[in-house]
Amino acid sequence: MVAYPGDTRVVRTAGRLNEPRPALVEARVDGTPVRVNRLPVELVREEWRVVDRWWTEEPVARRYFEVVLQSGENAVVFRDETCRCWFTQRGA
Amino acid sequence: MIACLLIPGFELRAALRKQPRLALRPAALSPAAGTEALLGPVTAEAERLGVRPGMRLGEALATCPELVLVEQDSGFAVDPSGVGSVYFETRGVERLYGGLEPALRRALAAVGTAWDPRAGAAQRRFAALAAANVARPGQILVVSDERLQDFLAPLPLELVPMEPRRRAELHELGVKRVGQLAGLPGSAVAERLGPDGRRAWGLARGGKAARVRGRRPPAEIVEALEFPEAIGNELTLRRAFGALVETLMARPERSGRFVRKLALSARLVGGGSWRRSATLRDPTTELARIKAALGSKLADLPAPVLELRLELVELTDGQQLELLPAAGGELDVRLREGLRQVRASTGSGSVNQVVEVAPWSRIPETRALFVPRDD
Repeated sequence: MVAYPGDTRVVRTAGRLNEPRPALVEARVDGTPVRVNRLPVELVREEWRVVDRWWTEEPVARRYFEVVLQSGENAVVFRDETCRCWFTQRGA
Repeated sequence: MIACLLIPGFELRAALRKQPRLALRPAALSPAAGTEALLGPVTAEAERLGVRPGMRLGEALATCPELVLVEQDSGFAVDPSGVGSVYFETRGVERLYGGLEPALRRALAAVGTAWDPRAGAAQRRFAALAAANVARPGQILVVSDERLQDFLAPLPLELVPMEPRRRAELHELGVKRVGQLAGLPGSAVAERLGPDGRRAWGLARGGKAARVRGRRPPAEIVEALEFPEAIGNELTLRRAFGALVETLMARPERSGRFVRKLALSARLVGGGSWRRSATLRDPTTELARIKAALGSKLADLPAPVLELRLELVELTDGQQLELLPAAGGELDVRLREGLRQVRASTGSGSVNQVVEVAPWSRIPETRALFVPRDD
C-alpha cells in the first residue's frame, strides 16, 4: 500500500495469484525430484513442460512435476530452465 | 395549515446547476441507467418544441432533434419519494413571522429565486401539494377547506399520484379531471382499480387531514451517573451500567429508533478518563444485547470510577424486514458484514477479490490477480 504525500487517496496495487515460490529441491540425474523442501518424494504423479512467450524478452521454459510427498501432501514443483532454479506453485 | 414548497423539475434544475446556459435551450433529464428510456423533467424551451416529461427517448429525439440530454446529478441525493417538494406545519412559524403569508414568503426566500419555488397551503397535505403545483414561480396559494372541492375539481388527473396503468385506464374511461374521479362512487373505484385507485380517489376528495411528521435529525443522547465515592467493584459498576442503559433507552428522544453505536466513558479517580465504544451488528432496542455489547468492557477499567457515562452515538430508524427475502440476499448481507468486520479488525487492504485476467494461460500466475477491496 502506497500513499502519495499530500493526497488523501491511497493507491493499492493488485497482486498475482499463485505466484511461484522458491523451493529447495534435490533431483536425480534425469531431473525428477527426490526431495522437496527436505521432504522425500513418494511418487511423481505427472510431468509436463510449459514453453511460452519465446517471442518476448522474458521467455518461459519450465519443467513441471506433480509429486506426492512422504507426508501425504500433494505438491507441484517446476524447474525454470532459464534461471535453473526450482519453485513450488499452487493452481498449476 | 400544511404548507408545501415545490420546485418543479427539481432533478433537472439540480443537474443544470453545472451548465446553466442549457436552461434556455431544449434540454431534458436523461433516463437513469438501467431504467426504462423515459425522459425526466424538461426545460420550458423543450416543452415549447413539443417534448413532454415522461416521453419515450426515441419519440422525444424525433420530435426535437436538437434536444440536449442532461445526466442526473448524482451528488444531489434526495429521497426519491419527495423529490423537489417539502411539507411543513405552519402553525409553529405563523406567529414567528407574523402570519401565514409572511411565513411562506420567508420559506420561498430561503429556497432562493434561482430554483423558481412555489408554495401552497391547505388543511390537507394533498391539497397543499396541488396548490403548490398550480401556483406560479414565487407565488403563494392558500386553499381553505370550504373551497377545497371547487379548487381540486378542475385540476388535471396527473396531479394525483397513482400507477401510470391506472391513470391510463381512467383516461380511457374519460376521467381526466380530479373532480371527475372524486365524483365516482368509492366502492366502484376500489372494485375497478384496486387499492391504488381507491387511494387516488381519496386524494381526489382532498386526502386525509393527517399531520406532517417531521424528519428527526440524529442526536446524541447521553446519561451519566456520578458516584459519591470512587467505585472499583466490577459488580457495582455493572449494576450502574445496567441502570444507565435502562434510563437511556427509556428517553423520549430515543423512542422509535434503534441503537447502532454506543459509547461508555468514565471519569477516573486521579483525574484520568476512559472510553470504549461498540458498534452493533444489527441496530437494536434489546437491553440485553446492548448490555452484552459494552458490559464486558467494564473489566478493562484501569482505576476506580467517579462518574460513568453512556451515550447513544448513532441511532437509526430501524430496518424494514422483508416478507420474502430475495434469493441470496441474506447470504450477500452476511458476507458484506463479515468482510466489514475483517476489514475493521485487520485494516485496509486485507480483503481482496480474485479477478480472472487470462484464465486460458498456460502460466498459472498470469491467470488471475487479487485486487484489494475496501468498498
